[in-house]
Amino acid sequence: MKLIKKGAEADIYQTTWQNSNAILKIRKTKNYRNSSLDSKIRKQRTIKESQIISQVKSFGIPAPLVYFVNLKNTSIVMQEIPGKPVHDLSESKIIQLSKSIGKLVGMLHKNGIMHGDLTTSNFIFFKNNVYVIDFGLSQNTIKPEDHAVDLRLIKEILNSAHAKIMIPSWKNFLLGYKSIVGNANYVKITKLVSDIESRGRYAQVV
Amino acid sequence: MLGLGIESTAHTFSCAVIEKKGKKGKILSDVRKIYRPADGEGIHPREASRHHIENSSLVLSECLDEANIKVNDLDIVSYAGGPGLGPCLRVGAVVARSLASFYKIPIYPVNHALGHIELGKLLTGATNPLVLLVSGGHTMLLAFLNKQWRVFGETLDITLGQLLDQFGRSIGFASPCGKNIEELATTSSNYVTLPYSVKGNDVSFSGLLSATKSVAKKSKVDACYSLQETAFAMIAEAVERALSFTRKKELMIVGGVAANKRLSEMLKDVCKRHGAKFFVVPLKYAGDCGSQICWTGLLESQIKKGVPLKDTFVTQSWRLDTVKVNY
Repeated sequence: MKLIKKGAEADIYQTTWQNSNAILKIRKTKNYRNSSLDSKIRKQRTIKESQIISQVKSFGIPAPLVYFVNLKNTSIVMQEIPGKPVHDLSESKIIQLSKSIGKLVGMLHKNGIMHGDLTTSNFIFFKNNVYVIDFGLSQNTIKPEDHAVDLRLIKEILNSAHAKIMIPSWKNFLLGYKSIVGNANYVKITKLVSDIESRGRYAQVV
Repeated sequence: MLGLGIESTAHTFSCAVIEKKGKKGKILSDVRKIYRPADGEGIHPREASRHHIENSSLVLSECLDEANIKVNDLDIVSYAGGPGLGPCLRVGAVVARSLASFYKIPIYPVNHALGHIELGKLLTGATNPLVLLVSGGHTMLLAFLNKQWRVFGETLDITLGQLLDQFGRSIGFASPCGKNIEELATTSSNYVTLPYSVKGNDVSFSGLLSATKSVAKKSKVDACYSLQETAFAMIAEAVERALSFTRKKELMIVGGVAANKRLSEMLKDVCKRHGAKFFVVPLKYAGDCGSQICWTGLLESQIKKGVPLKDTFVTQSWRLDTVKVNY
């Protein structure tokens, strides 16, 4: 097995599963964390992630297939998506793909799922398709507030990591999102995004 | 080049003199007087500003004496323009304006949060860090990109400093309560489950605050221990996410809560896992001080000849990510 990435909460290895390439995602113990808190977090997230990946595939979100879940060492074996994270693509490509990302997020929300970690590294571009990965912080929720938290996060990421192309990307994202959730939901949720932003520290209050 | 910096955003009134030679800065003096509210109470902005007014002349003259200079020797004067409490900010601004107009010294308003970062870089030697700014006013993860500090994660409601202070006050400590909570926490190892709320790179502490208050009714020590473990684990996770996303190889922690040993210990471990260098601002300069304002003013002076008096504003809400850094 080859270590391909040390992510924030898990180590990612390249491996095989019944003769096809696969990814092993293992959430290892974090020594700095209190042990009971640590095992609770690792277990919960492993279960949630594997459940929700399977769930989103059922309504057509491109995501890896889950092959095997091992709760003893909190690991998941899943299909490898051998593409590139959207984060690493050219600026013009990111602007263009923002619309597809918006559509994908709209589909998740429409089906009552918040992703919880919408960054440009969690979308993978492969064979002209955008795949969604990393459902560790996902939740089944139809609360508009939760959906707004999702939108705020991707907005924050565009505004920081992709500051130069923030305006066109965010515009495209919203176009895609609106086309799926419909105008009424779109208005409600973007209003909540502004509400969350205005609660932020030292936000400009009008 | 000699600069004077005046800090008065919240409970601290401080003046500092720094001598800048090229890229290097030497702190010649840093004098502070801190407003202390009664036990169990928070900062009263009017009382704090009164404290600052009463102490301003003393702090200023002590600071100049200690640096062994006269006002006429100063090349620039800078003050904290925000963010902070309006009445307190105004005291520092008035002192700075008086000096600037009477002695004809160029004047610079400085963003307080930027001050924490610039002083941290000067004192730790970090060059291109991911910054964790944790204090009473801020809980933010920042990285520098295209002449601005960009926010990669922050609190969605109260700050880590507020969480510790508000909880501490509810069990009768005097603000700032971080040190008392830390001491009490070391006497327990009984973890009580508390709400853990990480949203991507962001965190939310308000639910944790209410839950901890109810745990404290049964046991104050368990509450302190579990609060620290939960809140710091949340921060550590947000840091891990931001490190892995930005791929930075340095982490620098600044602000008042940087003084907490448990937090540093956890973040040290995070850095080890990600192969990143770990920098903490020295204890003495973790909290609010004149040096942070002074050094940032000196950096600004490399590209700007001060601002006209009519533009020497104070702004209670002045977000760090709106400041252009051109030096």
